[in-house]
Amino acid sequence: MSKSRPRRPFGFRVYAGTMLATVVVGGIAGACAAILGGGPGWTSVAINAAFFSVAMGAGMALCVWWWRGIDEAAREAHKVAWWWGGSGGMAVGGVILLSVVLPDEGANLVKNMSGQDVFAAGMAALAGCQILGYTVAWVGWWLWHR
Amino acid sequence: MNNRLKVLRAERNWSQADLAEQLGVSRQTVNALETGRYDPSLPLAFRIATVFGQPIESIFSE
Repeated sequence: MSKSRPRRPFGFRVYAGTMLATVVVGGIAGACAAILGGGPGWTSVAINAAFFSVAMGAGMALCVWWWRGIDEAAREAHKVAWWWGGSGGMAVGGVILLSVVLPDEGANLVKNMSGQDVFAAGMAALAGCQILGYTVAWVGWWLWHR
Repeated sequence: MNNRLKVLRAERNWSQADLAEQLGVSRQTVNALETGRYDPSLPLAFRIATVFGQPIESIFSE
């Protein structure tokens, strides 16, 4: 066997730890924004933007660090999952959301929600569809390449 | 693309994990390479050739 060995690529534990770290950072940022940035005016917008910028920046920094630590096949799986899974998830989710929300029946579903809540729910729903599509595509890539 | 990774690995009595450690990739990547379902990048192909001490053309073929 060779004497100098390349670094072992990151495995599932590092991935799970990275996900947990981003959840914690996002949670802290969200809590700070809710406490300090909930008032009226552009000051609140600026406070929210500051907290969320820090959280997103930390999240992206973690992504860069993690991306550099995985091997090329893992990167390929994530690229495929991002493009096809994310696009497919958005396509399917978009059809469902538009089909449900645009008709009158859709208005009944959201009639008790504020405009902000509807907007946030729509964002969360579409992001959820993209994440689901991403996961399916990622699992499919590895199953196909076994 | 076809390859002789599994044969070369077996000749040296290495597990997939052993080979993965030498190449700096995961065991799953080695498995994907051996089944021919994943083609390595050029740098990885050169590392494979170095590890087995053989030219790339003798390991990979179309």
